[in-house]
Amino acid sequence: MLRRYAEADGRIRLRDVTVRYGRRIALEAVSGEFASGSLTAVVGANGAGKSTLLAAIAGVKRLAAGAVDRPARQRLAYLPQLAAIDREYPLTVSELITLGAWHEFGAFRSPGAALRTRAAAVAETVGLAGRLGQPIGEISVGELQRALFARLILQNAAVILLDEPFAAVDMQTISVLLDQVTRWHREGRTVIAVLHDLDLVRAHFPSTLVLARRCVAWGATAVALPAMAA
Amino acid sequence: MSAHALIVEPFETLAFMRAALVACLALALTNGAVGTLLVLRRMSLDGDVLGHAVMPGAAIGFLYAGPSPTWLSLGGLASGFAVAALAGLITGERTRRDAGLVAFYLVALSLGVVLVAWRGSNVDVMRVLFGTVLAIDQRALLQIATASSVIVLVIAVLYRPLAVSGFDPAFLRAAGTRAPYGAAFLAMVVLALVANFQAFGTLLAVGPMLLPAAAARCWGLGVAASMALATGFGLAASIAGLLVSYHRNLPSGPAIVLVAGLLFGISFLATSSWRRMAPIIGREA
Repeated sequence: MLRRYAEADGRIRLRDVTVRYGRRIALEAVSGEFASGSLTAVVGANGAGKSTLLAAIAGVKRLAAGAVDRPARQRLAYLPQLAAIDREYPLTVSELITLGAWHEFGAFRSPGAALRTRAAAVAETVGLAGRLGQPIGEISVGELQRALFARLILQNAAVILLDEPFAAVDMQTISVLLDQVTRWHREGRTVIAVLHDLDLVRAHFPSTLVLARRCVAWGATAVALPAMAA
Repeated sequence: MSAHALIVEPFETLAFMRAALVACLALALTNGAVGTLLVLRRMSLDGDVLGHAVMPGAAIGFLYAGPSPTWLSLGGLASGFAVAALAGLITGERTRRDAGLVAFYLVALSLGVVLVAWRGSNVDVMRVLFGTVLAIDQRALLQIATASSVIVLVIAVLYRPLAVSGFDPAFLRAAGTRAPYGAAFLAMVVLALVANFQAFGTLLAVGPMLLPAAAARCWGLGVAASMALATGFGLAASIAGLLVSYHRNLPSGPAIVLVAGLLFGISFLATSSWRRMAPIIGREA
């Protein structure tokens, strides 16, 4: 179902990316390139600008200076922090997952039966088969994160941005989600994830970007990650 | 008193009651949709502030042409849109934004009252503050009906993106959508508030919009079903409020808002006590 992505598809180049919140500078002159098909962890202390970087790449946060260069037709999927999701919103798990195929049905058409079947299949991949009809307010945090991952799968994007995907979820969920991240990587998609667990970064992420408002280190995890402790 | 005399006769015999009823029904149709989206997007306070933002413009319309519904509306629309555009520019921290909105609301309200009182009478001031649902003429009725139709159509067309962006605002933008759905929605809110302003005045305009929607929201339904229930609550509050005000000789706008408030209270108590009772009687909430 999922095709491999061509080499050039998932490339993202940052040129002096600078973001401000009012007068506070959240991210200053970050430059570099995420190669197509790379799997990168973004690490750094609280307030280092990790989430801001993802939001800037996703086009959700406006840049004060610099640019994010992406191929014009590149499809991008963005998983915000769980806290940004309104869990009291009247939406079922199935509806949430189906939203992932927004690029297929768009603003003015309703998703068809074929799509709902696909949504159900994807729900099974992340272990949510029995939860499809439930409102998102009644499932656990881990299950919500699984549902959001299912939505990402349906988005079928060349670039996938994950903001703290493993925060506040149990070990079993982490292993299901991590399998999915590995699968995306194998499929040749570019995956960029904000993470706190450095052991997990060492074990599963080939590249690392260390942020402290500026880019401290960026490259192979074995080389870049030690900068985090310094 | 027979049911006929209680419910039908006031509307049968009095033209102004019929006009008020038609206006309230037209408003209830838009208020259900707009109010539900406001509540879901957690923009109740913004709605309230925009309701008062209408005031200075309406007052200037009043200074220019006296108590003409057309000029009140045009002035109100102009200042409502101006403030909505300004609010879009304020993207500071949440608490500072709240304080700014409240400060603005007080200034706009006072400025409007001062302007109207400068050239008008106390009756005029009361009229802009609380509306004149029983004095709606044909032109005002036509304006309300037109505004309501436009809003319902726009929301019907934009329903899906509006519902989605309320839940996860970053989703559509990350997916590459650049259409300004949020701005379109704010424009509809201002238009709806101006229509409500004709009937309910600046102080109560947001009441018939938010209260039925908040009441419907208690019942935990989906977005479309919440809109339908809010519209139903709005219709019921309009009819009951008008009848209570007629039989008990009470001001109509506040009577309608009170009935809507009562519906909210009942919905809130019923659903929260059901949630507490459900585990005890062995049912799932």
